[in-house]
Parts: sequence; structure tokens; C-alpha cells
Amino acid sequence: MKKKVLALLMAAAMVVTMAGCGKDTPPAQGNGSTPANTNESTPADNQGGSEETKDVALTVWAPSEDQNDETGNWLKTMCEQFNAAHPEWNITFTYGVCAEGDAKATVTQDVEAAADVYMFANDNLTDLIASNGIAKLGGSTLEYVQNNMSQALVDSVTVDGSVYGVPFTTNTWFMYYNKSLLTEDDIKSLETMLEKGKVAFPLSNSWYIASFYVANGCSLFGDGNDEAAGIDFGGDKAVAVTNYLVDLAANPNFVNDGAGEGLAGMADGSVVAFFSGSWDYGNVVNAIGEENVGAAQLPTINIDGADKSLMSFFGSKAIGVNPNCDDMEVAVALAAYLGGEEAQKAHYDMRNILPTNTTVLADPAIASDIVAIASDECIANTSIMQPYCPAMNNYWTPAENFGKSIIAKEVTHDNAAEKTEMLNTSVNSSVVE
Amino acid sequence: MREKHGSAKTRRFISNTVVHIVLAVLAFIWLFPILWVILTSFRAEPGSYVTTFFPKGYTFANYRKLFADTTVLNFPQMFMNTLIIAIFSCIISSFMVLSVSYCMSRLRFKFRKPFMNIAMILTLFPGFMSMIAVYYILKAIGLSEGAMIRVALVMVYSGGTGLGFYVAKGFFDTIPKALDEAAFLDGATKFQVFTRITMPLSKPIIVYTVLTSFMAPWTDFIFAKVICRAESQYFTVAIGLWRMLEREYINSWYTSFAAGAVLISIPIAIVFLATQKFYADGMSGAVKG
Repeated sequence: MKKKVLALLMAAAMVVTMAGCGKDTPPAQGNGSTPANTNESTPADNQGGSEETKDVALTVWAPSEDQNDETGNWLKTMCEQFNAAHPEWNITFTYGVCAEGDAKATVTQDVEAAADVYMFANDNLTDLIASNGIAKLGGSTLEYVQNNMSQALVDSVTVDGSVYGVPFTTNTWFMYYNKSLLTEDDIKSLETMLEKGKVAFPLSNSWYIASFYVANGCSLFGDGNDEAAGIDFGGDKAVAVTNYLVDLAANPNFVNDGAGEGLAGMADGSVVAFFSGSWDYGNVVNAIGEENVGAAQLPTINIDGADKSLMSFFGSKAIGVNPNCDDMEVAVALAAYLGGEEAQKAHYDMRNILPTNTTVLADPAIASDIVAIASDECIANTSIMQPYCPAMNNYWTPAENFGKSIIAKEVTHDNAAEKTEMLNTSVNSSVVE
Repeated sequence: MREKHGSAKTRRFISNTVVHIVLAVLAFIWLFPILWVILTSFRAEPGSYVTTFFPKGYTFANYRKLFADTTVLNFPQMFMNTLIIAIFSCIISSFMVLSVSYCMSRLRFKFRKPFMNIAMILTLFPGFMSMIAVYYILKAIGLSEGAMIRVALVMVYSGGTGLGFYVAKGFFDTIPKALDEAAFLDGATKFQVFTRITMPLSKPIIVYTVLTSFMAPWTDFIFAKVICRAESQYFTVAIGLWRMLEREYINSWYTSFAAGAVLISIPIAIVFLATQKFYADGMSGAVKG
């Protein structure tokens, strides 16, 4: 009897809590003006509307660095310029802090109360679409994105043929090296670099480890977002990479960059090169001095006698519009403005955020920036677009664990084939089935 | 005779030595991470990875940076937010825990046993299971935006604490009922018995309750994150410390992160030091023999 009551209570408690969790799944309702699927939007024709001023309230979310007064408060400056450029609207802005990678969690938590315009990392896109947190772009904003940015960037925010955001910067990793210790010939091949000194690579980080497998012909979702193609980390080509990594981990000149060893090693001169992204440029300059900082696309690795280039993932950060927003046209126009030429230039000047607009990229100051060059070359030659289809979620944890077991020497030449096959199976199977 | 005495002495010496060695090893294991955090907080070299345990240089700059460099991560504000929330939730939840415990220990009513069972089961579930539901409830009553976020957080931290009455109830059970009955005979009400007799006799458990409820807001991350969302001016220290470890910040903020970790232990330590003398003298003077 007692047990039954207990079980009943447990069940009741479960139901109550489950119901609570379930509440965030149905997309925002009761917002009659913007029904879920017809949220294709076009910004207003700015020149046309000259009637009276319309009061608009917009909430904008961006990372806190964009709102840093010491570096000019990019977000506020841009929003105010936008307001000044549009006399037909009287916009009151509310600013919030949400890093691009956090958009997935923060926006989808409560789409209705989320910002009208926000920034997101492109791998958040499928989650944002699933929770109806992002609107398709149309009209002049769509044209702007398509005509002023490289196709790779447009693809990075396109799902089923629709463009969902205005990309404003790229997101990838490349190589930093110490110019006083390595020459431009050395950095072409990882083997040469390993002979000259210690090289740090984050092998236990799944964002980085894929580069070795992709180098040797492995592919993720048909090098796009083709879920049916799956992740192909199988066969002899993948085993060859695993064997290469086993040797690499055993190389005394290889350092696994798990917790900042790369940067620390650069600073004390023990490491000649490490792999990171534009966010670390300032730290590298502090570590070895500006004159010694070199940045380049990824080197080649020699697998079974052939030189093959490492291939990093690249993605983008973009500006999205919430379909639940009250003044869609203003929000879309603001998104276009924040991702526009002027704002990208300001973003670069204030915070060294690499632009995506081809006109801004041609600016002499940016065209000679070593980080911009390295990042662009890396995207053009030694990277693949990071897949962001939902099945990609199954990749991260198994790949990370695989990297860790290589470091821990649990993977050896003897079991490389078997372990690689296990990796291939687990990255292709969902944990929650 | 003499020899026997000597051997007992040696035996005691040996056992004392063993005990001390074991305690020293345990103390080392427990204190080592704390020492490491404190050393890191004074470390002059930036970055998350260093090759030596002891820093090559010592500096106060990490602490200064926490309070001076407030444009990106406003630590003083986060600290104040957390302090305010902690003080209010400490007061409310201590009162609730002690009241519920007293009722469960002293009063007899029909639903008492089932209620204790329900409470037991409910506390078995981790609180964050309901966080999305909690968020929507707070939103429905208009507490999810602006300054009301602080109120919401106080409610979240103190709202469910009444369920955690088991420890305090166990303590109240040890206080003899005869004391209560004597007071009732003198015409005291139940509330008077609670405030005048039970409370003065339960200082250790009050200290314990106050400490745990004061600490909760300092260490909670998940509710603060869900409820504050993008409203950075209401962030608590847990969110701030977490953000310092993001890839853009980690190299320049890592040592300040350690400094922040040291700083948040200060209010907790103050509360502990202020209350610790009550730990000892709980029962003295009340019941003799």
C-alpha cells in the first residue's frame, strides 16, 4: 500500500515536472500578427515612407565586447546611427548581452521574450529554426547578402534554400607561428615543423581533430548538410589517419593543446606554432611580440607518402531577426544595417572583427592584416564548411573522446582499425534514440 | 613495570604518528586546490596554462582588474547583485526552514506523515529539472524582466527551501518536550515557545541553516543563467566567472577568475566567522543532568 502511494506520488511529480519542461517546445502562440510559417519579411522601402514618425521599440542582443565603452560601444553607436538614418522611425533600443554561441540556448528558452535582433553562430541555426526563433530573409536584405558576400558564407546561413541571417564575420581556426623560429617554407608541412620544434595542436578538441580525417578524404554529410550521406570516417583512409595520429601523439615534439599549453609554450619559446583563431591574435602578440607573429593557412600532413592539407571547419557569425517581433520591417532593416558595409568597417576598426562584405575586405588596411589574410586563405584553401544539420550533434562527443584516447595512448597501431570503426559507428548514431 | 609503561608510551606515540600522517595527507589533499586557486589569483603571468606550480611573479593586478575593468565583465555589479540576493534569500529561507522544521517536530496533525513523505520524494528530484517551468511561471507573474529579476532569484532560492527541513527537524526532536510543556503551563503560545525556547537552544542548526542558505546563491549557476537570460546588469557572480572561461576571455581573465573565486569566499567566510561561536554552546545551560 505504502509503496503504491509512493509510486503514485513519484509519477505525479514526474508528470508535473515534464509538463513544465514541455512548455518551451510549442512555438510562440497568440501573436496573431506573425503566424509561424509566413514570416518571410521584407524591409521597408526607406525612401518611400515619409508620413509621420513611427515609434518602435527594439531589443538587440550582442556579446558584451560589442557594448564595451572603451572600444567605442559598437552596438550602441551603430544602432543610434541607424536610428538617425531613418527619420521615419523613432526607435527606442534595449540592449542585452548574449554571445553568438549562446543564442541557441538563450533565444530558444523563450522565443517570445527574446531579442528582436540578435547575433548567432551559424551552427545554432537548426535549433533556432526548429523553435521558430529566426525569420527567413527576403527582399533587399537577401539581395545584399547574396551580392556582397562569398557563396561559402551565404551557404553557411542557408537552410533548404532560404537565407536566415546576415553573416558579419567568419569563424574558423588557422595556424599561428613564431616567425623568428620558422620560415615560410617550414610552415607548409607539419612534418617539417615538428622537426624544427614543438608544435601544439588541440587533438582532444573535436572542432580541430576532424581536420586530419577530412585531409585524407573522409567527409561529413557529403561536405555539406546532407544528412543522408552521414559522416564517413570509415575504411582504410580513416585508419591511415588514426595511425598517423598515434605516431603524432608519440612524437616528443607534439604537444596536446588541451588547456592553453600552445599559447603558454609560444610565450616561453618552447612551442613554435599552434592552432587557434582570430580571437587569440592579441594574446599571441602579447606572448611573442608583434614582429614575430606569423599566421597562415593550415599545413600539409604526410599520410602514406602523400602530402595532404589539413582541413579546418569554418562557420560564420550572423545577425538574425526574431519572427515574433512586432515591427518586422524595422528589425530586418536593422539586421541588414548591422551586417552592412559601414557597420562591418566599424566593427573591424573597433574590435578587429574580420568583415565578410567583399568591399570592406578589399579595404587596404584589412587586406594587409595578417589575421585577415590567414583566415581568408584558410577558408579558401584549407577548410570545409562546418556542417550544422541536426545529425552533426552526434559528432562532437565521440570525436572528442577519440582524441583523448589517442593522447592517452589507448589507441595503438594494433587496434587502430577497430577503434576507427567504433568511432565511425558512434558519430553516425544518435545517443537519444 | 617500567618497561611496560614505556611500551604503552611507544605504542601511543606510534598510533599518534600514524594518525597525524593520515590527517596531514588528507589536509594536503583538501587544501591543495584552495592553495592553487589562491596562488593563481596572485599570479603575474597571464593565461590558463603554466609549467610551474608556484607563480614566477606575484601581483595584485588580477584583483584590481576585477574591479577596474568593468566594461566587458562588470564584476563589482555582479558581486553586489549576488550579495543582495544572498542576504534576502538567507533571511527568508532560514525562517522558512526553521518554521517548517518546528511544525514537523512539535505539532501533530493528520497530514504530517504523508507530507513528510512527499517532501522526501520531492527533494530527491534535482531542482533544475523544473527550471523552464519556473521561468515561465515567473514570466507569467511579470518577474522575468528588469529589476524584478532580483526578486525572482530570491524567490527561486528561498521558495523551495521549506522542503529541506529534515536536518533541522531531527535537531528539534532532540530538545526535550518537557521544556515546551513547562512553557505552555506558564501560558506561552506555540510561537513564543518556538522563539523563546526552541530557537535559543538550536543555535548550531540555525547557524547551519543560515550558512547553507547564504551560500546557495553564490554557487548556483543554472537558475541564474535561465532567469537572467541576456540582462547583463542582473548577472550573478557564477555567470560572470563562467564567462571568464570562454575562449575569447580565458587567456586574459583566467587569473582574475581565480581572484574572483577567492573573493566570493569572503562574504561566506564572514558569515561563518560571525556565527561559528554559536556552534559550540547550543545546549549548554538548558538541560542539566
